[in-house]
Amino acid sequence: MGLIFGSIPGLTFSMALALMVPFTFGMQTTPALGLLLGVYVGGMTGGSVSAILLGIPGTPSAAATVFDGYPMAQRGHAGVALGAAVIASTFGGLFSLLVMMLLLEQVAAIAIKFGPAEIFALVLFGLSTICGMAERSMLRGLVAGSLGLMLMIIGLDEIDGIARLTFGTVQMQQGVNLLVAMIGLFAVPQIITTFLNFGRVEPLKMPADVRARLPALGQLRQRLWLMVRCSSIGTGIGAIPGTGGPIAAFLAYDHARRFDREPQNYGKGELSGVVAPESANNAVTGGTMIPLLSLGIPGDPATAVILGGLLIHGIYPGPMLFRTHLELIYALYISIVLAYVVILIVQLWGIRIFVKVLSVPPHVLAVCIIVLCGLGSYAIRNSIFDVYLMAVMGLLGYVLQRVRIPVAPIVLGLVLGETLEKQYRTALIMTEGDYSIFYTSGVALFFFGLTAITIGLQIFSSRRRRPA
Amino acid sequence: MRLDRVDRWLGPCLLVLAAVWLGLVYAYIPGARQPEEPGPRAFPILLGIVLLVLAGFMTLAAYLPSASRPSNDTERATPRESYIVSATFGLLILYAYLLEKLGFVIATPIIVALAMAGILRLRNWIAITALAGGLTAVCWMFFVWMLKAPLPRGLWLM
Repeated sequence: MGLIFGSIPGLTFSMALALMVPFTFGMQTTPALGLLLGVYVGGMTGGSVSAILLGIPGTPSAAATVFDGYPMAQRGHAGVALGAAVIASTFGGLFSLLVMMLLLEQVAAIAIKFGPAEIFALVLFGLSTICGMAERSMLRGLVAGSLGLMLMIIGLDEIDGIARLTFGTVQMQQGVNLLVAMIGLFAVPQIITTFLNFGRVEPLKMPADVRARLPALGQLRQRLWLMVRCSSIGTGIGAIPGTGGPIAAFLAYDHARRFDREPQNYGKGELSGVVAPESANNAVTGGTMIPLLSLGIPGDPATAVILGGLLIHGIYPGPMLFRTHLELIYALYISIVLAYVVILIVQLWGIRIFVKVLSVPPHVLAVCIIVLCGLGSYAIRNSIFDVYLMAVMGLLGYVLQRVRIPVAPIVLGLVLGETLEKQYRTALIMTEGDYSIFYTSGVALFFFGLTAITIGLQIFSSRRRRPA
Repeated sequence: MRLDRVDRWLGPCLLVLAAVWLGLVYAYIPGARQPEEPGPRAFPILLGIVLLVLAGFMTLAAYLPSASRPSNDTERATPRESYIVSATFGLLILYAYLLEKLGFVIATPIIVALAMAGILRLRNWIAITALAGGLTAVCWMFFVWMLKAPLPRGLWLM
């Protein structure tokens, strides 16, 4: 599923994840986590297929792969480009898994000592990544984040048990379910866009005979050090909430070109131009897991959906996870390894079947997604109310998209808002309203500083981007 | 800040939303039981103020004489777009209603057929019937047989 959604331009793997979560309800926690991670990893990898074959990235993370992958395909080397992409992706993914295994417990061991003020500051830092998700306008990103936090307010207040803005309805007391909101916000605008493009956009024409071929061992050996460097870039970028695959892939591509002896070959079908972004964007998957699992902070919309899925299964990511669900951590490691093995097999040997799946008309997929949206929303709490709510969230998502307000910060607000409010209030209840708890803690000050730096950097970069 | 034409009405709309939000919060959410503690109303008020400030900033930036000339990045909705958006939203609402009243097995093919014939205006009835029946069967098998998940059976039929 991840490979398919990742490779079809326009369909995001965040949407695939949101649609998949309801399918995990009947499963044990471990296979459910495996399914979600498989979709995540597959989605990140799948973007390279259409980037190489069609010159259209399946995901934003694969945009840098187009520069050299598509020229390789045009020169008749599509097989080698696909093979190199999947090898680099697997390498990057497994490299970041190794880093994650080394760092995760250390970060969690530090985080376990945090009190409400420190957690509040940490979550505030997590929310500051909204600036990075805001695409063009930080102001719009902040508006979206505020809207997400407002949606989170609706329902029963966890501390006092008071119904907030439920207007006397029982259904509203449970609040706006995160997954229902995500299905609506991610999937419905995509359905509408597909319907709007129906009959206007030429169907994707896949090359007739496609098969992935392993690059020569010598070619890979020459680029091994490049893959290590780019995987390190990807893991590091992934660990910073709010950054994500596209930034890592472009940085890695730029790094590869800059340090290559023949930079003039880039953009004309250079194999390193495929290997570098693919190893980096897949290394992001392990990087994003570090703040998610050790601190409970999702770095991008996809990990926000995974967090939502874990919460539904009663798993609360954060420092305590290592004490309460250690077995799940090991299951996660194994799931990621298995996911990459399956991806390697599917992309190397099953690419032709896969290309046929990609030929399914988008409008047929959109109709299927309507049904999955309805069933998925219902299955979360066996509630018809949630199907209505999904439709409303979908309309809201489309309207916001039209006025260029990004939806990803809404999701982040919904995910982190509850903890933010709870820790803020707990800290003030503990100190009987004394705000000094927030500025006498070194850790809290450190995270407040990071928040200020994140926002400052975003303002600085948006001013630099501003046209004269 | 990069301006878009839509900011000229988006800012005031958000201002109204923030004001309505604050009004609702004051009217429906009680304050703190202890004066020194932040009650259930504190955070919603803070959010309302934040949105008010952001919306005010957006409005000011759009209407100040020194504001840069707005771009026209957001295109006006065409009648076709308005139709497709409202039809898709209506279809989703109808799906929720039919799921409740008729259940999954009857509601799903109706919705698939309406999407294909009503919104996309396709007239290949064999393809529509095949997709409607096939999708319903596959979803039913997956949810009910494999996942043992209860699907709506329909109040009218029960």
